[in-house]
Amino acid sequence: MKIDRIRWAIRFAGLVLPMTWSPGSLAAQGAAANAFGVAVRTATINQTTPAAVLPTDGTVGQNQASDVTVGTLVTAQDAFATATGAADGAQSDAVSSATLGTLSILSGLITADGVVAMASSTVDNSNAEGSSLANLVVNGTQVDDPAPNTRLDLPGVGYVVLNEQIPTSGGITVNMIHVVMQQPVIDLLGGVTGYQTTGEIIVGSASSSVN
Amino acid sequence: MTNLRLLAGFAATVAVSLVGWSCETQRQALAPTIGGPRFHFLQFECSPVKMTGGGRIDYPPGTADKNDPATHIYETFGAHVMGSGVFDEESGHCPADKGSLEWVDHRPGMELNGHPLNLHSTSITFADIAVDAPHCVDGAVHWGGKLRVKNNGQEDLDFEVWDCDAGEPGVGQDGFAIRVTQDIDGIGHYEVTCDPPPAGPSPAEPTCTLTGGNRQFHPTH
Repeated sequence: MKIDRIRWAIRFAGLVLPMTWSPGSLAAQGAAANAFGVAVRTATINQTTPAAVLPTDGTVGQNQASDVTVGTLVTAQDAFATATGAADGAQSDAVSSATLGTLSILSGLITADGVVAMASSTVDNSNAEGSSLANLVVNGTQVDDPAPNTRLDLPGVGYVVLNEQIPTSGGITVNMIHVVMQQPVIDLLGGVTGYQTTGEIIVGSASSSVN
Repeated sequence: MTNLRLLAGFAATVAVSLVGWSCETQRQALAPTIGGPRFHFLQFECSPVKMTGGGRIDYPPGTADKNDPATHIYETFGAHVMGSGVFDEESGHCPADKGSLEWVDHRPGMELNGHPLNLHSTSITFADIAVDAPHCVDGAVHWGGKLRVKNNGQEDLDFEVWDCDAGEPGVGQDGFAIRVTQDIDGIGHYEVTCDPPPAGPSPAEPTCTLTGGNRQFHPTH
């Protein structure tokens, strides 16, 4: 009787287990994507808007804001954030984008009138193709088509990284304008011994990954 | 015990038959909803389908090269569709199970009420697999439904998209195109469709080449 039960269990498993198999189960893959228009983090402000995250059911996450104002730090118009993709084994994919129209950072220290941040990931491939900055002016100087991770100093403020591209696990994060605000650290004799970060502003961010 | 064995065998046979039946492609000669002349997206079949992803198109001209960003001539989108591949005699299409489209046209000439044209689907009604788009090596889908124009609240406009996954990476290879059937108030006729370029790689007509992002065809089952 015992042997019969074991034989029945083996037969049952043999019938049912193959039905649970799918190509995706060979190498379980997850997909993640998110994007936002503006993020400001200082000692008194912690704001991100508009933001979109890839839903767990693999559909389309999206959000938008016609006008974004964060104190005197950022103003932006027509911000859209989108995150799409699906976890599906070797066919997993994730794509996110953030776009903005006219914008001003730190009362005009940095201006632009068109920002596109785009991140795309599939298995073994991630890129920021499609990202761009239009009519970007930094501290009075026009900057055309900045190379990835272009750093410019902002005297009295800190620095900005343009077209920032950060590899992540199975993916990429692209921040089109990333301002790091710093204050000098001064010793007793009045000398500058270093700088400490007091906040950051990110405009146009997109992340995607497939793991 | 013998009865139990018989029952298990019968259940397994039924289950295998059901799975096999549900995966079987239901080939149909579906009629395209708009006229040609075109060379692709004319022959369709009903099969389980899923297409996901998003991207950027620089239309016009809609080639693999980005326009000067200062011109603001580009469109961005996110879109997915799922269908179980069952043919519907009445509509002549394969009904979609679910889907979504978010489309933004950044061209200055397409501004409506002072903002970029923003189309948002309210329902996805069909998803037909195109079998005559060999460039789309991973899959091609013609799908559509109803949308709302977010700028002015105009509702229930019919739309269709042509969707092409031509391998990885999607940029420079995959394609996407959209057409809204009825006029959009304040804009009129709206479509972003492309002719094939005279040379070089191109997605299937009438899709425009992605300058960013990726379209991903998922062979379901």
